[in-house]
Amino acid sequence: MASSRSKLAARTLRGRAAISGAGRSAVGRVQGRSVMALASDAAKAALADAGLERGAIDGVLTSVAFAAPFHRFSVAFSEYFGIVPTFSNTLQVSGATAATMFNIAAAAVAGGLAENVLVLGADSLLTGLSPDLALRSMTESRDQQYEMPFGIPVANTFAMTAHRHMKEFGTTAEQFARVAVIHREHALRTPGAQMTEPITVDDVLNSGWVTTPYHKLDCSLISDGAAAFIVSAADRVGEFKSKPVFILGAGECYTHEHIFLMPSLTTTGAVQSSAKAYAMAGCSPKDIDVAGVYDCFTGTVIMMLEDLGFCPKGEGGRFVDDRQITYGGSIPCNTHGGLLSYAHPGMPGSLLHFLEVVQQLRGQCGERQVAGAELGLVHSLGAGFATQATTILGTEATL
Amino acid sequence: MRRIDPREAHVKPLPTPDADSQAYWDALKEGRLMLQHCRACGHKQVYPQAICRHCGAEELVLEPASGRGTVHSFSVVHRAPGPAFKQDTPYAVLLVELEEGPRMISSLMDADPMSVVFDMPVALVCDPIDGGTVLPRFRPATR
Repeated sequence: MASSRSKLAARTLRGRAAISGAGRSAVGRVQGRSVMALASDAAKAALADAGLERGAIDGVLTSVAFAAPFHRFSVAFSEYFGIVPTFSNTLQVSGATAATMFNIAAAAVAGGLAENVLVLGADSLLTGLSPDLALRSMTESRDQQYEMPFGIPVANTFAMTAHRHMKEFGTTAEQFARVAVIHREHALRTPGAQMTEPITVDDVLNSGWVTTPYHKLDCSLISDGAAAFIVSAADRVGEFKSKPVFILGAGECYTHEHIFLMPSLTTTGAVQSSAKAYAMAGCSPKDIDVAGVYDCFTGTVIMMLEDLGFCPKGEGGRFVDDRQITYGGSIPCNTHGGLLSYAHPGMPGSLLHFLEVVQQLRGQCGERQVAGAELGLVHSLGAGFATQATTILGTEATL
Repeated sequence: MRRIDPREAHVKPLPTPDADSQAYWDALKEGRLMLQHCRACGHKQVYPQAICRHCGAEELVLEPASGRGTVHSFSVVHRAPGPAFKQDTPYAVLLVELEEGPRMISSLMDADPMSVVFDMPVALVCDPIDGGTVLPRFRPATR
């Protein structure tokens, strides 16, 4: 067992693939654009960023879309976009899909399956589905025998973990609310953000219950939008127009499917997924300059700050109170405003975290720029913490 | 992936039993909540399946649970997950820890949903719903 582990450690993706293009469609409320049109907008933006023509794409990895429910979205998009890839797959591990697409794209280019992999997510949850249908569609992701008959929204699985965190560690509703307030502050600096009104802790606490202990403003948005990237073999970075951002570490963990089989409601598989990513990247949490942390709900961020190692277990609430997750703090997170205030078009939501971290590492964020950002982390998760995926990114200086 | 039809969204989802779970759903119709016990290692599990999740053995038997448990966590739903559950709000979804050890998802009956607290003792209620299905739900119990 020990020898198989050391062999695994010797097989690394570190620095073998780079993000050579990054882009997005319009996001937020986008009237009159189908899911495929949004996807096309994002893919074109990523190609333009890399300085590539669409024919250069020979691999396509995508998530699925609720409003365009193709079983083989990656194949359907390739047809729509007029390309014939020789490597393709449509991935589905809920919210964690974003980071898994980068991890698998990096492995594909390192292993010679493709030269330039398009990583893409698109959906139209706001204008392509009614709110009722969007919520019911997401609920359909819970098990039809042991969960769905009890009327358990996806939000409810996350809410039960947050509730338990309050009981075990004394985390407060005000601390959850402060996460929302900081994300809104970030969105105010981000062109194109869906939510642009400043909010206070009291606004969050008075916004009405969704599912206890979460109020409306503890919950992420429902949006339209798409984001796309080109992942290329690292030895080709000189051929692209953009400043390369390298994939340094990757890790995933899947601890359960049903929320009642989650081993602990307050410690998640993000511990294992991030440990694997840090080990591959050869860094530790304190080395990370900027992070994208999946923020489907406010309490999710607090729990992930702990499990990703940015603060000790149980200290997440106080860490947020101390404003450690914004400029001047120890780990600026979701500087674009995240799923809570920038946009949450479903599966592409976490790709927007990748876009922000890539732009931070390229120094393109203007007044949102985290000075000297060289090493970034994005953590995607989904399905009541069932799915967890971490990707560590770095500039050329970090290789 | 499939797109939910608007009419379908107004209908509550019902469990469709399979070969693993038919006996579990049948027993609920007779008022019993069954736990699966592993004869090889003693592990008890919700939900029934072909192998023990702990040791991988296939010597599994169904035994009725006592129906007593406590609330490990909970969340009271005010915004329904689609139109089918709107008339039920607010309702309390419970993560019940059965006294035999395993946990399960259920919902509260016969009490104010906002009165739920952690570690509250609860007792099984076999609740008949549409189409002959019986759901394992819980009500407050005295210890």
